[in-house]
Amino acid sequence: MYLILSSIFFPILAGLFLLIRYRTPLPGEKRAIDRKALTTLTGIFLLITAALVAAALLHAKESFTLFYLTKTLPIYFRIDSVGRLFSMLAVIVLPCAGFFSFEYMKHEERESRYYGFYLLAFGVLNALCSAGNLITFYLFFELLTMTSMPLVLHSCSREAVMAGLKYLFYSLCGAYAALFGIYFLYQNCDSLAFTADGALRASSIAEHGGFLLVTAFVMLLGFGVKAGMFPMHAWLPTAHPVAPAPASAVLSAVIVKAGVLAIIRVLGMFGRDFLRGTWVQSVWISLTLVTVFMGSLLAYREPVLKKRLAYSTVSQLSYILFGLAVMQETAFTGALCHVLAHGFIKSSLFLCAGAIIYKTGKTRVEELRGIGKEMPLTMWCFTIASLGLIGIPPTGGFVSKWYLALGSLKSGMPVFDVLGPVILLVSALLTAGYLLPPVIHGFFPGADYDYGRLQKKEPCRLMTVPIFILTTASVFIGLFPDCVSGIIAAAFTGR
Amino acid sequence: MIVSVILIPFITGILVPVIPFRKRWQKEVFLETAVVLNSILVWYLLLHHSDSTFLLAHFTGNLNISFRVDGMSMVFAGLVSALWPFATLYAFEYMTKEENENVFFLFYTLTYGVTLGIALAANLLTMYFFYELLTLVTVPLVMHTLTREAVLASRKYLYYSLGGAAFAFLGLIMVIVYGSTTDFILGGVLDPAKTAGKNNVLLLIYVMAFLGFGVKAAVCPFNSWLPQAGVAPTPVTALLHAVAVVKSGAFAIIRLTYYSFGTDFLQGTWAQDVVMAVVMFTIVYGCSRAVKETHLKRRLAYSTISNLSYILFGAVIMTPLGLVGALTHLVFHAIMKISSFFCAGAVMHQTDRHYVHELNGLGYKMPRVFGIFTISALALMGVPGLAGFISKWNLAGAAVESGNPLAWGGIACLLVSALLTAVYMLTIVVRAFFPGKDFDYSTVSDIRDPNWKMLLPLFVFTVCIVLFGVYSQPIVDFFMSVAAGAV
Amino acid sequence: MDFICNFPFFSILISLFSGTICSVLPAKAAKAVNRLVIAAVGLMSAVLLLYLLSTGESFIYWMGHFPAPWGNEIRAGVLEAGMALFFCVIMYLSMAGGAHKLPGEVVESKHSLYYILVNLLLSSLLALVYTNDMFTAYVFVEINTISACGLIMIRQVGRTIEAAVRYMIMSLLGSGLLLFGLCIMYDLTGHLLMSNIKESVALIMANGEYQIPLIVAVALMCIGLCIKSALFPFHSWLPDAYGYSTVSSAAILSSLVSKGYIFLLIKIIYRVIGFDIFNSTRIIDVLFVFGLMGMIFGSLSAIKENDIRRMIAFSSVAQIGYIYMGFGMGTQAGMVASIFHILSHAATKSLLFIAAIGLTDVSGGSRKFIDLTGAAYRNKWAGVAFTAGSLSMVGIPLFSGFISKLLFAQAAVQVEGKMLASLIVLGISTVLNAVYFMKTVIRIYTSEQDAPYRSITFRDRKGYTVVLVCSVLLNVILGVSSQPVVDMIGQGLAMFA
Repeated sequence: MYLILSSIFFPILAGLFLLIRYRTPLPGEKRAIDRKALTTLTGIFLLITAALVAAALLHAKESFTLFYLTKTLPIYFRIDSVGRLFSMLAVIVLPCAGFFSFEYMKHEERESRYYGFYLLAFGVLNALCSAGNLITFYLFFELLTMTSMPLVLHSCSREAVMAGLKYLFYSLCGAYAALFGIYFLYQNCDSLAFTADGALRASSIAEHGGFLLVTAFVMLLGFGVKAGMFPMHAWLPTAHPVAPAPASAVLSAVIVKAGVLAIIRVLGMFGRDFLRGTWVQSVWISLTLVTVFMGSLLAYREPVLKKRLAYSTVSQLSYILFGLAVMQETAFTGALCHVLAHGFIKSSLFLCAGAIIYKTGKTRVEELRGIGKEMPLTMWCFTIASLGLIGIPPTGGFVSKWYLALGSLKSGMPVFDVLGPVILLVSALLTAGYLLPPVIHGFFPGADYDYGRLQKKEPCRLMTVPIFILTTASVFIGLFPDCVSGIIAAAFTGR
Repeated sequence: MIVSVILIPFITGILVPVIPFRKRWQKEVFLETAVVLNSILVWYLLLHHSDSTFLLAHFTGNLNISFRVDGMSMVFAGLVSALWPFATLYAFEYMTKEENENVFFLFYTLTYGVTLGIALAANLLTMYFFYELLTLVTVPLVMHTLTREAVLASRKYLYYSLGGAAFAFLGLIMVIVYGSTTDFILGGVLDPAKTAGKNNVLLLIYVMAFLGFGVKAAVCPFNSWLPQAGVAPTPVTALLHAVAVVKSGAFAIIRLTYYSFGTDFLQGTWAQDVVMAVVMFTIVYGCSRAVKETHLKRRLAYSTISNLSYILFGAVIMTPLGLVGALTHLVFHAIMKISSFFCAGAVMHQTDRHYVHELNGLGYKMPRVFGIFTISALALMGVPGLAGFISKWNLAGAAVESGNPLAWGGIACLLVSALLTAVYMLTIVVRAFFPGKDFDYSTVSDIRDPNWKMLLPLFVFTVCIVLFGVYSQPIVDFFMSVAAGAV
Repeated sequence: MDFICNFPFFSILISLFSGTICSVLPAKAAKAVNRLVIAAVGLMSAVLLLYLLSTGESFIYWMGHFPAPWGNEIRAGVLEAGMALFFCVIMYLSMAGGAHKLPGEVVESKHSLYYILVNLLLSSLLALVYTNDMFTAYVFVEINTISACGLIMIRQVGRTIEAAVRYMIMSLLGSGLLLFGLCIMYDLTGHLLMSNIKESVALIMANGEYQIPLIVAVALMCIGLCIKSALFPFHSWLPDAYGYSTVSSAAILSSLVSKGYIFLLIKIIYRVIGFDIFNSTRIIDVLFVFGLMGMIFGSLSAIKENDIRRMIAFSSVAQIGYIYMGFGMGTQAGMVASIFHILSHAATKSLLFIAAIGLTDVSGGSRKFIDLTGAAYRNKWAGVAFTAGSLSMVGIPLFSGFISKLLFAQAAVQVEGKMLASLIVLGISTVLNAVYFMKTVIRIYTSEQDAPYRSITFRDRKGYTVVLVCSVLLNVILGVSSQPVVDMIGQGLAMFA
């Protein structure tokens, strides 16, 4: 209990401390910020938090109720396998991106605010992973939006503020749609505690099953907003380019996954058996497939690197959602694998893009000619991550996509069982199409390239090491998928 | 005893212009003491109430002016008397910049008494009487600045309110004629023997009376007086147009629905559908107007319109749980909205800025005010852990439980409105704290947080918002027992 | 027979003769006589009322101890005595309230004439109230018309002559129709005494003969009195007549004269035709519709006005609509409501007219709203009084207007077919009332710093202020303790039958 609570509240309190202690002086105020102390402190906080989370992951088994909002609404925590999996992702990505940002944020103002909210978001994410019922989850889901918004609009330029607001309103819109469903779930379930095999009362299903399907669909759509599902994906490509690169990495790798986590929870609450074969499943699968294809296509046409990666996120997240929508164990395994794989890969890619921007200021793909010669380590990581995302063995992407396709074919759904894998393949091709050109141009700038201008621009270790760790993690998942298969199997049954 | 709590504000109010105070602080002390004493008295009365009815005067026949404390009156009177001392404290500071203080405080204090009269009324006629009186004593407050704008606003306010009362009056007549008594009895007083065969007429009159009282509760299409009345000094807009006056409208509707016509009679009829549709429309309409509005106080006023209809939505679900939802929001919204209004007032008082786009960067210079504003904004949106979530949860829960498909649609309205609330409240917060890269901080250099008289009420309200958000059990239990008629 | 039974006769006679005396007295003395007479009549009516309440039954007084059909009869019940008392009170207040304006409005030499007319008016009103004879009623209707016309015309400004001519024509039309009706009635029944006619009418109805001429006769009488009391489509004479005459005249005309005719109509309904027979005709429906329309259109016209006196005058049209709506309901409750409204409207309207003059006085005599801005600060008492009157008109509890609204609504609910229409119109009309009265109230309380006008305080006009206070009190008394009054009305109606 105390481990879980401290893993939640320690970063939150630490974040608040940073926000207050190191608040940016206004013009005319005679107070300077000791940057070194700030970053050191943040680093220590991040490490402590990571340690706490790791300890909680290893040891915490019990569930507990913190307090009651109303008589029937407990704030309840429990770590189960799904939460554990997502915690694992967060605990690796967030510190990495955090350390990366110590270097990256040098050229931004108001760092303390960034670090403060970063830690807040970390704490909220931990809470989200260990939430044991829908209300607790919803509470932290909203808070996640609130705490991550300042990260998005950090630069405070006009576009950034607009993008931040867009992110905020899209997320809230989704959250409220989900809340609509929660109201009905509350009335039709005995409790809102998470389960994997349906909490609806049989009598309720018999009485208003039709309406409950609508409710389920609304909830899926609502949480799907966070996961960038078509038609509410538009905030992603707006928010990512303006956010600082490490923030984009975290956003894309972990925070949007909160939407996925939410959908897993919702599926569990309604029960796969209740939804399988209904119109909800068909519509939902169609939406994910549309998103997969459309995201790739848009990424393919996008010239700005970070925006391209953002569209890629849209597409890849729907791989995961597709896996969930199939409602079959193998596909579920694929989906959860992809959660990890995509998390590592995409954060690594974003950090690479950040490193490039930080060092060269180049944002567009066609400007990246010869970059591989200048920043070899960064670009190698970029290459490996790209291959992973395309799904080339032995990287993490391959394993997950394999399971996804397999599960889809096994599922025995009409039409979609084949259509799904086909679209996944086409999208993989497109992925190759949008990720490999920067690699190729980066390493092989062509004969007419002026090699004389090349300089060594490799960033410092604070940047390269996190990128390297994340890339390694992505490969590791691909090489040893077995190390997570146990946890995923447990997740499927809701343990 | 029960009359004295109504009379003390009257006497105090009338004494304000009469006593020749030498210094301003003497007047402040006098007023504050009287108000606090009265509030204490009210609370004493509520906690030690007996079931007896106090008869003050006789009109015609069995119509009389009488008072009684029951569950509903405990909620409303308790709320009003808890908020009034703070609002008065705040008004002292705010009114330093305005003229004609004495007249202001005269009517301000009178309103306290009249509002308590509405809360403590034992029958429909008494409530109607104080309801009309409330209109009359608040008009001078709206008119206070005597600018052309204020006069127009007060005229509109007067027409709307009196007109509304005229139709509410029809409901009163129905209860007099078809009811066994005009006293408030949970479950309604209509006499089935008399109403047989006249249901449709009664329902039509109910709808009219609903809209009539609804004028004060700013139900669409009778809401336009409220944003206009925002020309009044902020303590007035905050307390009256977020709490006392508009809540009286909601209170009256609850009385009419649950205690006079009776939910058994109304539930499942076309009248319920009509009023619910109106309320749902208002919820969304108020919010969307708030999004469009750029004047800070008017924006909050539109927000009030929408939130009042939350309360009414709970009321027209016409189940005990609906009443619980309505009461929860009645109380919680009062605290949240008064908090945000006082923040707006503090900004206007300190900086003389009235429009949303002028608030850029103020968050750094007035961190306390805007911090509090942020919390009230989050609460209004319904973020869990703050008071607004609880009330919304109760409302939606009641709607789901009622099994009425229209009420389910109402939930969707609530959520759309929550989203719009986020839009209009958070844009202010973002402006204040993230003014943009090229913002010139020198334009806000000499601005600072207001003094303790303004901040104290704000802090208290914020603590309440958080407290009720995380620990609402006792108060919701109390509402439950009110709705069950156990108090 | 008790001595008190002579009082009705005395009061008519005193006022008639005092009129004659006034013609030879100087203005000041005439004024004194006039006041004295009103007070005396009021006192007598009060005593009579008490007497009737104690005996509990009405009596018939033979003029000169000749039985009908040779003699003339006077009948007095609770309602008659109460009405007479009330008329006296209102008239006294109106006269006192407008007294200070008289020198400015009427040339000095005509003051005694003015008082003659007032006395005549009083006597004719009393006669209308007390008489039990249709022909006497007609005669006094004419006297009433002439004296009212004189009262309008005595202020010799251009508009009043026109108003008086208009009033004259419409009124004569009205009394002409009344006369026609009377003639037909006489042909049918052969009687002029009310009680005798009623017996014959009941016989005719029972036999089923001559029904159409009977209905026509009733209709003619009704229309005649409607015209004279300015029911909605026949109200065109009213705004000018009330709007431009002297203050006291306006107050008296609006609160008493039209009410006298209405009271006569009530008498005809109850004592001549019979309440049930009257209700079985379609006439009440027509009255009902006209009443409703009057309530709406009168108010609408009032909203359009920008002259405070004319606005109040138009408001009378609406209020008379209320009264006829009560008739139109065709129930005892509706009738009680109407009669109560006669009282409440009379009390309120005279108050409004008198208060309005106080406001115009401090606004350079202008009656336009624009000049009245802030007038309530310059004449505080008038402002308060006007506000009280307005609130009563709008129907705020504690004032008499609320009670009459309440009674009307309660009565309406009991009439199946007319309930919704009357309730809705009642609501709308209240809204409209609120619009124009509250507009005025806010206007007079909107402060105007640089107004060039002088303020008036209590010391300047003691008498006037006392009148205002009394009128407000009268209003509040009617509003707060209405139960005895309502009971009395019920008792009086019971005595009619």
